[in-house]
Amino acid sequence: MRKGTLLGIILGIVVAAIATGLGAVLATSQTPVILVHYKQGAIPLNPDASFWSSVSKVSIPLSPQMLVYPQTYKSISRTLKVAAAYNGTHFALFIEWKDSTKDVEGIPGNISAFADAVAAEFPVNSSGMPYICMGDTAHPVNIVFWKAGRGVENMVAGSGYGMQPGEKYAIGMEEATTSPVEELPPQAQIWVASAKYENGMWKVVLMRPMGSVFPLVPSFKPGETTSVAFANWEGSLDQRAGMHEISGWFTLKFAPLTATGTVTPTPAKTTTVTATKTVTKTTTATVTKTTTVVKVNKGVIIGLSVVIIVLAVALGLALIRRHTT
Amino acid sequence: MIRAQFAMVINLDKCLGCHACAINGKKVWTNREGQEYAWWANVETRPGVGYPKLWEDQERYGGGWVLVNGKLRLRLEVEKKFKPLEMRDYYTPYTYDYKALFAPEVGEEQPVANPINMYTKKPMEIKWSPNWDDDLGGANIYGKADPNWKNIQASIYMTLRNIFMFYLPRLCNHCLNPACVAACPTKAIYKRKEDGIVLIDQTRCKGYRYCEIACPYKKIFFNWKTGKSEKCIFCYPRLEVGLPPICVETCVGRIRYVGVVLYDEDKVLEAASAPEDKLVAAHRSIILDPFDPKVIKQAKADGVPDNFIKAAQESPAYYMFKKWEIALPLHPEYRTLPMVFYIPPLSPVIASMGPNGTYDAKYESIIPSIDEMRIPLQYLANMFAAGNVDEVKKALKRLVAIREFFRRINVEGMSKMAAASVLQEVGLSIEDADLIYKWLALGKDRWVIPTRNRPPRLASQRIPSIQSS
Ligand code: SF4
Ligand code: SF4
Repeated sequence: MRKGTLLGIILGIVVAAIATGLGAVLATSQTPVILVHYKQGAIPLNPDASFWSSVSKVSIPLSPQMLVYPQTYKSISRTLKVAAAYNGTHFALFIEWKDSTKDVEGIPGNISAFADAVAAEFPVNSSGMPYICMGDTAHPVNIVFWKAGRGVENMVAGSGYGMQPGEKYAIGMEEATTSPVEELPPQAQIWVASAKYENGMWKVVLMRPMGSVFPLVPSFKPGETTSVAFANWEGSLDQRAGMHEISGWFTLKFAPLTATGTVTPTPAKTTTVTATKTVTKTTTATVTKTTTVVKVNKGVIIGLSVVIIVLAVALGLALIRRHTT
Repeated sequence: MIRAQFAMVINLDKCLGCHACAINGKKVWTNREGQEYAWWANVETRPGVGYPKLWEDQERYGGGWVLVNGKLRLRLEVEKKFKPLEMRDYYTPYTYDYKALFAPEVGEEQPVANPINMYTKKPMEIKWSPNWDDDLGGANIYGKADPNWKNIQASIYMTLRNIFMFYLPRLCNHCLNPACVAACPTKAIYKRKEDGIVLIDQTRCKGYRYCEIACPYKKIFFNWKTGKSEKCIFCYPRLEVGLPPICVETCVGRIRYVGVVLYDEDKVLEAASAPEDKLVAAHRSIILDPFDPKVIKQAKADGVPDNFIKAAQESPAYYMFKKWEIALPLHPEYRTLPMVFYIPPLSPVIASMGPNGTYDAKYESIIPSIDEMRIPLQYLANMFAAGNVDEVKKALKRLVAIREFFRRINVEGMSKMAAASVLQEVGLSIEDADLIYKWLALGKDRWVIPTRNRPPRLASQRIPSIQSS
């Protein structure tokens, strides 16, 4: 038994290290799932609505983006709390996070402020898991981006999306994609948003129709499963562009369309999921407990990730052992 | 790959400091909400701190490229500490309460239009403006802060500040190696393949302001209203119909010149990485001779239209920067290969600094007097040649020789042939002198602007930027 445990730990470390190094998907037995609750009637856009306070939320741990320019060299660790719902016609995401500073753009004469912002990305097609940093040609990602003081935007990323120049031109996009992320044309701007900052907390509701006729925006269907990942920007640290915090991929599971009524609200309860399912190369989603501003570099992230993976594996195995002995 | 590029030359010797260029640029492009503080074209007085304040201090603003182990890197990436500018780095935009002039209350005094803050709409006291130190106003306080005093003793400065000044009109340099383009994470900034104009695509700009930090000339202006950055567009809608940029056409001193130059795109990186004292020479070396049959053949093969090649042969910018070497780039040490060139000021030609800081006119030996001119060569070299005094000397000597040539003819009644000995001394011909006279003295044919039928805008028509990471 003891031998087995030790072997397990070592194997765990080796596998985790190799997988992390290769940028492969790490999956734990506990798959991080965000359930999209079915709700009868209108879904409130108001983040203060009682529906959003009562519905259960999933904690999304974030870690600094260190793979592409501009990297995150100033960061505050933070966690998003996310809930999702649909009502047959519309899909909504509720995202809240603690933020001690309200940073908003668009104030007359303020040219130095960077705004707090949040984004969620979805695979455009179901052919496989996209690369978490802006997708790839075969697996583009659709990104909804909300920025304080500026509003919501629907975007797409994935170096050309595997489309011909003519096809792109026909749907109102640039023929040759040169930007890593592109704003979708007006007819694809299907999201609406509302946000509130109060008591050191941002609450944002993002809503769109379930279906989409635009090729680079996925349609959502009751009972189906897709993926979602999140990103968050802290304006007070000048975070913008690639300088931000990201999550790993989460499963987004639409509850079946029930004729009888809503699945929720359930009593306010937060499910914490350890997001180790990720396709990033160096950053497995980690929760660091520092609240001060930290300067992060790649080495620290890799080191921290490895340590946390080791701890998690060890803890898991220790728990199993306690239960079995 | 040979490309055509619009370039500008500004003759500092004759700039009046009238600000017509700046005012017209403002009126045409930035006279609107969101860009109140922005002056795509501005005029500074030197010595002085410029606009935005001390923009040349890259330790403060993080602009341009630096060589790290021989490799070109953006300064903002090497030291990750730079922030975008704040309004106080520029000034608080103001207007005046003009209503007070038209509907004055009856009183003893003349009605006065008091300054009003453009954002708060409340009365304000003006404490800085885009040309606050105009004509050396307050130079006793600000002049010393001018970064171009590098390697010049403070004591010399104290004497000099009383005897020289000149104007420095500025705009985006539409650089060959633009730091702004390289810094943009969304690739919203691009350099047009057909003429090298650097533009920000307003649909893809996300207002990240990396370009603003990266531009060493501080010629990117964030629009707080739209959330996107803006910059000088070299008046491309005017160029496309054969008109010069508005700052060129309205220049009261007639000292702005625009033309096309042909350059070797493959050599850009190499030139931008040259040692500091060779930067001007390296920059010149990638500008090609538009009369060379090999260049013409290659340019055609690379898609440069015939009328652009012809325009390059008549281009004031080609002659002044490349052929005669009388124009110099502003701060080549930023390594962006700027394409606006400056003819350094002689100010005035024959006066030099005598003992006790008095004017001293040494007339007989006009060329040797260059070293004793009122404007210290080191100051000009710090500004236009990365400290290389020889480059400035060469340009000034040629300018002095031209004047002497025409003085000999017009004042002394010498024949052209006899007068030409002074030209030979500096390596110019009589034809060169006539052309220089036509452009610099008479101000004729100041722009040569070819047009072309523009194809639909394609992203593939952008010049890829050098990525520093
Ligand atoms: S001066 Fe050069 S670096 Fe600055 S905005 Fe213009 S092209 Fe870009
Ligand atoms: S308009 Fe011409 S002369 Fe007047 S300040 Fe501008 S560059 Fe100088």
